Amino acid sequence: MSSTEQGTSSAAPAEPTTAPESAAAPEVPESFYYVHGKDKVVHKVSAGALQHSALIHGMISNLGYTEEQAKANPFPFENIDGDILQMVVDWCNQHKGKPTPPEDTNLPKQKEKLFDLVLAVNYLEIKELLTYCCKQVAMMVKGKSPEEIREIWMIPTDAEDEAAEKEAKKRAGKEAAGETAAAAGDAK
Amino acid sequence: MPFPILRTPSVVLSEIISLLQPNEIVTASFCSKNLERLLQNHFRQRKPLKWRLHMIDYKSCGQAHIKTSEDAKQIPVLLAKHMSELKRQLSWKCPVLYSNDQILGTKMTVEYVTDLFGLDIHELLTDRNSAWAIQWVNNRQKNSLYNFAFNKTRKCNSDADEALDFVLRNARASNYCSIEGSVSDNFKFDGKLGPMRKLTIPSNGHWVTGDNLSNFDAIEITIQGSRLSVSDLNVFLRHWRAGGLTRLEWLHLNFEEHTFRERFDEDLEVVKTDERRVYHCSYGYKKVVHGGYSVQRVDGVKALIQCDLRRFVMVVWHQQ
Repeated sequence: MSSTEQGTSSAAPAEPTTAPESAAAPEVPESFYYVHGKDKVVHKVSAGALQHSALIHGMISNLGYTEEQAKANPFPFENIDGDILQMVVDWCNQHKGKPTPPEDTNLPKQKEKLFDLVLAVNYLEIKELLTYCCKQVAMMVKGKSPEEIREIWMIPTDAEDEAAEKEAKKRAGKEAAGETAAAAGDAK
Repeated sequence: MPFPILRTPSVVLSEIISLLQPNEIVTASFCSKNLERLLQNHFRQRKPLKWRLHMIDYKSCGQAHIKTSEDAKQIPVLLAKHMSELKRQLSWKCPVLYSNDQILGTKMTVEYVTDLFGLDIHELLTDRNSAWAIQWVNNRQKNSLYNFAFNKTRKCNSDADEALDFVLRNARASNYCSIEGSVSDNFKFDGKLGPMRKLTIPSNGHWVTGDNLSNFDAIEITIQGSRLSVSDLNVFLRHWRAGGLTRLEWLHLNFEEHTFRERFDEDLEVVKTDERRVYHCSYGYKKVVHGGYSVQRVDGVKALIQCDLRRFVMVVWHQQ
């Protein structure tokens, strides 16, 4: 398994010359977790960045892994392409601990990846990023005619829908006939 | 780059739909019957409670507009035009239905939008050619219109008297009613209007008699071009003092001729006053009234009257 370490550096911060009043308690070191997608490339991400994902946050909230345990057990997301997971991790890192702005300029620019990104973000339950992605999808049809929208959103025509429905019925009929034949064969 | 929207999970699809403007949703609904059904179901499950549908049938153009909130601008979502307009090749920000039957086209347009979003018609704006729209709206929905406006047209007003009579007898709106018709000097109306919050006659108010005024059930009444005389208003004030027009708070008449003279009958007990008060009228406006005449109803409710050659204003103070 290849491994790339991404995200926030785990190096200790420099000692402040004068301790601020509120810094009486020792700082808790940031914990890191590891995730990988379909390509098995492991990404190191801080717990702070992962808080954006309700799914992962729920998974790690009660784990209490040590750094070593977390490294040994990366979260596998086999349904997400490696480059898409990379985009998501980058976005989570960029927005770690920050309030998310109403308009996000850090959104991944590759429109051809938008569909896979939307599915991944929805699966990982990253609400703000999902909203940004959905805004991009909504913006695609601004000022467009029904014909243009049909192409942009890949909407089948009524004729195509009817043909697909007929085909599905035909297939279902064949499957039902096959099952009946198999059941009759079993009975013999 | 295409985006296969119908392959997204339903939660994503709902999020995308919620980010679209009403005109974009209507346009998208024409992509396929399947998408139209999907959008209809979306709005059945998530009724856009703040959206308001405005139907306009004015100058031979049927229009369905949506306002997404009280402060938002009206967005045209679907238009109906006559086939003869097709040559003009104007570009619209929403789909246009061209037909040979303008009324049928307008009905289809508005029905399409009401079915898609599950909305009643909230406001109707018509001219004298679309009296049909009033009855059509009255018959198709249980809830009465919130706002109604009848605008005059400049051309072909030969049947203006008939048209306005029809409107006055049939139009109903709970909040605001604006009625403007190029009627003849002989036009008379013997019915009632209201109840509503605000009645405005923005021009040609010469037909309004004292009896009419006493039969208007509205909180605020504004009439431009009035021919009411001081004796008409004395009769009206007598009716008001005896308990008529109990809901009236604001009456503003602008006279056609600037010759009005205040000569109130003695029995009305109208007295001069230097009182200063603030009236909070509809849509958040404030009007300061200072001085004029004071008149009191038998139940103790007071009103302040200000008048000159051009106007007569009466403000009723229901709360002491």
